[in-house]
Amino acid sequence: MRNPLTSILSSKYGIIVLLGLTVFFAFIFVPEFGTINNLTNIAIQSAPLAILAIGQTVVIIAGLIDLSVGMLLGLIVVIAADIMQGQSSMTVVAILAALGLGGGVGMINGLLNNLLRIHPLILTFGMLSILQGLIFVYTDRSVGQTSPEFSWMANGTVLGVPFAIILLIFVAVLVSFLLHRTRLGAHIFAVGGGEEQARRAGILTGRVKVWAFIFSGLSAGVAGMLVAGRLGTGYPNAGVGYELDAIVAVVLGGTSLAGGRGSILGTIAAVFVLGVASNILNLMEISSFVQIFVKGLIVVIAILLNQPKRIVAS
Amino acid sequence: MLLEIKGLTKRFPGVLALESVDFSAKAGEVHALVGANGAGKSTLMNLLSGVYRPTDGEIIIDGQAVQLSTPGIAVSCGVSTVYQEFSSIPQLTVAQNIFLGREPCGKSGILSHKRMYADARAILDKYHLELDEKALVENLTVANLQLVEIARALSVESRILILDEPTAVLSIPEQENLFRIIEQLKQQGMLILYVSHRMEEIFSISDRVTVLRDGKKIDTVQTADILPADIIRMMIGHDIEQSSGLSTADSGEPIFEVSFKDKRRGFTVVKGEILGVAGLVGAGRTRLARKLIGIEENNDMDILLHGEKVNPGSPQDAIQQGIVYLTENRKHDGLFANLSVLKNTTASALERFTSFGFLRQGNEKKAGTKILDRLHLVASSVDVPISTLSGGNQQKAIFGRALMCNPSVLICDEPTRGVDVGAKEEIYQLLVELAQQGVAIIFISSEMKELFAAAHRLLVLHEGDIVEDLPTSQLTEEKVLQAATGTLN
Repeated sequence: MRNPLTSILSSKYGIIVLLGLTVFFAFIFVPEFGTINNLTNIAIQSAPLAILAIGQTVVIIAGLIDLSVGMLLGLIVVIAADIMQGQSSMTVVAILAALGLGGGVGMINGLLNNLLRIHPLILTFGMLSILQGLIFVYTDRSVGQTSPEFSWMANGTVLGVPFAIILLIFVAVLVSFLLHRTRLGAHIFAVGGGEEQARRAGILTGRVKVWAFIFSGLSAGVAGMLVAGRLGTGYPNAGVGYELDAIVAVVLGGTSLAGGRGSILGTIAAVFVLGVASNILNLMEISSFVQIFVKGLIVVIAILLNQPKRIVAS
Repeated sequence: MLLEIKGLTKRFPGVLALESVDFSAKAGEVHALVGANGAGKSTLMNLLSGVYRPTDGEIIIDGQAVQLSTPGIAVSCGVSTVYQEFSSIPQLTVAQNIFLGREPCGKSGILSHKRMYADARAILDKYHLELDEKALVENLTVANLQLVEIARALSVESRILILDEPTAVLSIPEQENLFRIIEQLKQQGMLILYVSHRMEEIFSISDRVTVLRDGKKIDTVQTADILPADIIRMMIGHDIEQSSGLSTADSGEPIFEVSFKDKRRGFTVVKGEILGVAGLVGAGRTRLARKLIGIEENNDMDILLHGEKVNPGSPQDAIQQGIVYLTENRKHDGLFANLSVLKNTTASALERFTSFGFLRQGNEKKAGTKILDRLHLVASSVDVPISTLSGGNQQKAIFGRALMCNPSVLICDEPTRGVDVGAKEEIYQLLVELAQQGVAIIFISSEMKELFAAAHRLLVLHEGDIVEDLPTSQLTEEKVLQAATGTLN
């Protein structure tokens, strides 16, 4: 790895550099890319996934995984839209419902994880299925309508900056603070790094894991509000596939699936790498099937770059 | 008395690991805990550090009965433990590990990294521990890892510090440094429980010694009033008896010769010989076996089979050469728990039943059944999952697997562990039979009695080196234990 470019790309901040390079080349080679309108679009489209992926980063740092967030997001979209029926007066109720449902399901995941000792991959996959069932028992078509405030949260701007991005920054700063500046955060890293060691150090590992799942659930609540606002209605399939995109972004961002290390900034950068790439391909009018293919390539290449040790070993 | 233990008992399913142990120790004392493998030292330690809960009995610290039901509670009661297998978290820094679970916070509940690193530095400086508080633990050497553990124990203001085999991984200067730290802590009135089986250390730093054997306390004595030989006698539990070992094997041709390139002592196994390998836990017996079959790097040795250098590069390679290893950890490295007894038996020799890439199941079953019959395996059918069998029958199936490979050299690591008495006898018998058929057998065991009963010759390992190599008839248990503890002159 003597090449300075590859060595920067494979460093801890590789994904941020990759994002910078992608944006730089997009500005040069794709004229429509740099318009305010287009940039705003990318931001608005990427924000929900970024917020969801922040929650996923927390669970993965804790050595867990949460597959249920996609369907949880879908359920929140449906219920929030149904509660509001387009009335501004119900906005606050819908927000509370979204956060309560998100945090509540997260807590149930955490408690079941401790109680049943099933691998979280299986446990949360089960929860995914349960939530999907609930959505379709509730409705098989779009229901309700979001309030104007919800639409504004998802699409509006403050001094030219999309509100969704402000929300994303707020969530990112808050969660980074929790991870790095509180005991709970330190314990999340510790439990992911070595659960038995953490237990021996007197950390209540079960409680730490419940909190990690609660963060993940809450992130689905916040992301769900943005998705609902963009769709304008309670579309039952709104959450399909979100969980995998979130996990991909977390891993791309340099967080170890084995737990114990990871970064919020890396996760967000990874979400935007994927968002920008897909936007460029759209602008170049490349078919969406090719886009899926390219997304796969980006994921594999970025992960190879991010794991220099593995390349050297082979 | 700072620490008092009354009638402490720990029962695991099928094993009484600790039986009604009474024990007391005072502040400002270095108290050594000794015992042979399986004597109950680790169990006692784990009870004190809150990893296990006692089945019965009391732990009293400073006159107050305490329930040390979690490691956290033990720490808050003033008991810190430096484990043998380390308990640091590799992805975190030295300081983060020192303060794991007790991260310093400001008044607002916000972590203070500045204070954490400053406090860590202060502790490291106070005890002259040469460590960088900001280094990631995964980049540290083993000796430095231990210093992290010790620093963590020191940072909690413990009154009782348990050290489990602390010098096992240290070089001489590092050991001296550790002893200096222990001395300093003792002066400050800390009680140090020092678990070790190295006599020199026990005699150089401890004030009193408690000997455990088979889960029971044998005695507590002043170190100054006793000799290493007395302690060893207490560890064995009976006066030295002349062993009734097998006579020396007919000096057949050497089959298996191992020599080290750095002139350390090697060994030879002759045809038809059972070579016992003794040593305490951590002496490097299993490591040696793993090197012999190529699981671990063996460039530092020459391994000769029938006079030709083989040095297996992998277990597959070793099996093809005729060197077969029976693992000490049956559950983890030996069994395919969900597969049938038959599949477990034939796993290493499937190519014998394969033609044109297809497995001939009839032949497989015939051969497998034949060998299992010979081993007197008891099972309702060879098709039941192996996990449904008893330990002894599982071990027989694993033996069957080894025999299917037609070994020239069979290395058995603790082959009777977790096996009932009847099956044990059968295994000894089998080893003798195999030896008579000309297989060179290396028999690693922690049970002295079985080594004396079933081996022609014994190697004793101490800290990775072969320190003794004599016919069983010229050895005594005492002599072996002396060699194994490094007290043989």
